[in-house]
Amino acid sequence: MTRGVEPPPVTGWVYDIQRFSIHDGPGIRTTVFLKGCPLRCAWCHNPESQDCGVEIAMNPGLCIGCGRCLAACPRQCQAMEAGRRLFRREGCLRCGACAASCPVRALEVIGKDRTVESVLQEVLQDKPFYETSGGGMTLSGGEPMAQFAFTLALARAAKEAGLHVCLETCGFAAWEQYEQMLEVTDVFLYDYKESDPVRHREFTGVPPDAILDNLRRLDERGAALVLRCPLVPGYNARDGHLRAIADLANGLRHVQEVNLMPYHPLGEAKCDRLGKESRLRESRFPDESEVSRWLETVAAQTRVPVKRI
Amino acid sequence: MPDKKTARLSLATHELADHYLSGRIGRAIQPVAFTPAPEFLAQAPTPNRHYAEAVRLIAAQAPLRILPGERLVGAATLKEAMQHRMPATPFGSLSHSTLGFEKAMQVGYRGIRAEIEARMRRGGLDEEGEDLLRAMRVCLEAAAVWQARYVAAVEQLVSDSAGEDKRHYAGVLAALRRVPENPPETFREAVQALWLLWDFQRLCGNWSGLGRIDKMLGPFLRRDLEAGLISIDEARELLAHFWIKGCEWITAQDRGSGDAQFYQNIILAGVDEAGVPVLNEVTGLVLDVVEELHISDFPIAVRIAADTPEWLLHRIATLQRLGGGIVAVYNDDRIIPSLVRFGYPLEEARNYANDGCWEILIPGKTRFGYQPFDALLLLQETLGVSAAEASPRQNKAECTEWIARPRGAGTLECFADFEALYADFKSRLAREVNRLLDERPFDKAPCPLFSLLVDGCVERGRSYLDGGPCYTVRSPHAGGLPDVANSLLVIRRLVYEEKSLTLSRLAEVLSSDWEGQELLRRRIQADFDFYGNDNAEADALLQRVFNDFTDLVGATRERHGVLRPAGISTFGREGSGFLPHRTATASGRKKGAILAPNFSPSPGTDQRGPTAVIKSHCSVDFSKLPCGTALDLKILPASVRGETGLQALAGLMRAFVRLGGIFMQIDVVDGALLRAAQEHPELYPNLSVRVSGWSARFATLARDWQDMVIARTEQTL
Repeated sequence: MTRGVEPPPVTGWVYDIQRFSIHDGPGIRTTVFLKGCPLRCAWCHNPESQDCGVEIAMNPGLCIGCGRCLAACPRQCQAMEAGRRLFRREGCLRCGACAASCPVRALEVIGKDRTVESVLQEVLQDKPFYETSGGGMTLSGGEPMAQFAFTLALARAAKEAGLHVCLETCGFAAWEQYEQMLEVTDVFLYDYKESDPVRHREFTGVPPDAILDNLRRLDERGAALVLRCPLVPGYNARDGHLRAIADLANGLRHVQEVNLMPYHPLGEAKCDRLGKESRLRESRFPDESEVSRWLETVAAQTRVPVKRI
Repeated sequence: MPDKKTARLSLATHELADHYLSGRIGRAIQPVAFTPAPEFLAQAPTPNRHYAEAVRLIAAQAPLRILPGERLVGAATLKEAMQHRMPATPFGSLSHSTLGFEKAMQVGYRGIRAEIEARMRRGGLDEEGEDLLRAMRVCLEAAAVWQARYVAAVEQLVSDSAGEDKRHYAGVLAALRRVPENPPETFREAVQALWLLWDFQRLCGNWSGLGRIDKMLGPFLRRDLEAGLISIDEARELLAHFWIKGCEWITAQDRGSGDAQFYQNIILAGVDEAGVPVLNEVTGLVLDVVEELHISDFPIAVRIAADTPEWLLHRIATLQRLGGGIVAVYNDDRIIPSLVRFGYPLEEARNYANDGCWEILIPGKTRFGYQPFDALLLLQETLGVSAAEASPRQNKAECTEWIARPRGAGTLECFADFEALYADFKSRLAREVNRLLDERPFDKAPCPLFSLLVDGCVERGRSYLDGGPCYTVRSPHAGGLPDVANSLLVIRRLVYEEKSLTLSRLAEVLSSDWEGQELLRRRIQADFDFYGNDNAEADALLQRVFNDFTDLVGATRERHGVLRPAGISTFGREGSGFLPHRTATASGRKKGAILAPNFSPSPGTDQRGPTAVIKSHCSVDFSKLPCGTALDLKILPASVRGETGLQALAGLMRAFVRLGGIFMQIDVVDGALLRAAQEHPELYPNLSVRVSGWSARFATLARDWQDMVIARTEQTL
């Protein structure tokens, strides 16, 4: 007699699960942040999400200089020179031994390979709150579509468990994959980053054509859409782009809302901790009057509700 | 100035509010300038007679205060009253109860007088009873004198004024003349009557909760609206004046913890004795007034349930988001059944209110008291750890619950496993609970005025303090349970599972306040998922401690004629001010650190947001806690922005109801703002925060209380 062999469980790289997220779709939600992104936006505020797999983040502000990581690292990447903490990332195996030895979480492992089941269980912990507020689960990242098999499986499992599912996506993936997501996604939180094709390629690393094409096809299929528009001083916060946002919303039939997301420079601190370089031209919070003007400008040109996130 | 978005009240009312909130009225209050005559005292009067004589003098001589434009009159103008003392006497005064204003509104003082007369005629009272009822009668006469002085003063104002002023005073006079001697007939009379009933108690030093104001006033308003006697805007103005006058004692110079609110809680919504929802026009008007004037001096709790309409939750959320924690919620679906299970008749249970703070009681029928003890000190005993400091309360017999008793040295090895250690803790818990359950709280101190408004006192011929009320309640209140559970979690894992240190060694570390063990301490803080994170292992330990405490108390519903419902609170004991002899905890807290307030997570240990906190909190069976407890939830303003934010707050409240919580106060407040207010109190005189069930002006809090609020705020982000 032969026993059936179960297929290995689908797993994905998850770097954070945030409960009580209330600006990623309706109601009280749990947002699952996945690693890996095909874009390299200059203003990315989650640089820890760009690469798939494990990364090690160091926050020197928390370090108490106990030296345990120096002993723990098998490659001598952690060092102390003239009283300064050094992390020589070149030789790093990303084994996480340093983080495991750190008593104060100055070193942290970002990213964990998790099964659909374990993530779903964690998400379901807040089910009573989804039910009382009209919330649910949001898949975010990174770019969830970069781990398509996992994203599809998790969204399907969540739907089967009776949850409302939002997918936050940059739009850069094969149409066939989006087509499969239609069935298991209640709302697409769809990024619209830059209206000028040349700038789009320059700022994000990819051309916009496939993104816009996917968006139109989702709209044709009747998908509920929310346009998510980061506005970054020095990049896309200009009147022409604001007008293009309104035009895009007007040209589609199923856009429920436009979300304007004024940029915040918190990604820079994260870059430092990851040993990555920030590519920002300007690093400041937009001031309130600026944000109000953006809101008014877009709202004046579309019938779709415009909200600040 | 009124905010344009919510402005519904008149400019004059806003100006009056500013006047009261500035503290000028409160600061102007003078100490009493009269005492009972030597000839009277030479007769060696009974304490009740002595007390009643003082009430008579206060009524006849306390300064009157009528401010221009005020639509209600009556003022508590004696400094001793603000200090929780009976003016003109050596006697103390009372608080922590909600008096029977509802009944007094129904029958008037005249009905209570008739009840006293009838009881005296019926006979069978002993000498004490006769003495008490005579004193109560004097108090009633005094109350009438006080009211008559206001009538005369307003009559004078009517005759001295002209035009608009004359019409204003004539309106005041018309509502004042008949009440509270007679039951009110109009809404305006009812508001004036309730004010006089409550404020006369205050004038004599008694701080009562108000109770169910919409239940008491709503029917009058509905009748007047239907008859076209009043407009909804006029009604709102009247209630606004009630709220403004409730700030009469604000001085911004209070001592003690600095809570300026004097246990004057108000309850809204819920159901009446027959189970019919109370929600009426007054409910909405009260929320309007609070939203517009942002007066926090009457802390409000709304009774909600699964069938509470969405608009009401949105209104509550809107007010919560204004900050200040002015509006908290009770869960009727949990509380009413647990009161019935405890033994109250259903009609009484449906009418629950609180003691002016948040402890649950039946208003107008209950003498309430609670007995605090700190469970962490008991765990400290188990571990044989003691601090150099002595208990500050050692000489006061009633406070022995705050003494950690030393244990013999060298006995820790006898705890072969975690169960043995836990059994020792539990035996100490049982010892403490049994000692509390045996207390007889009866007291002969005079309180005829308070007893007037508590059912049972007249019939039994016994005072509020001496077994007169229908229910005398002493509630054992455990504090420190979250920190006990967190400590046990660490001990179980490190000592008995990982065996990375011995219990004796841990005891030494705690005795030395983690000296030289900073890394271990930080590691514990970083590695453990404590209570408040929706973690099954941590919550299971909390449930165990909770069940043991509530089972120990629950075994004795009544002893010595006293009801014994269990409660959980700290009321400031989470700080070290009251408990300097508490040591470091195994959960990584240093000595003197601020610990878990009431039944909320310990500051900094809840790292997964408010939903996880609510899940952990509601993981226990709260039907075993009839006196109640509080969850203090602090949320950053940014996380509840916009319409989505309101939906989220409403969702949190609905889930709290569904998960079976008891009482929750949500404070939307920014830690940075509080720190700024601590440095520059002069810039934030009216910034309010909720502390242990009653809200307080942040600027008036003592610094260690401010630190506690900030600690809690910054950690629940």
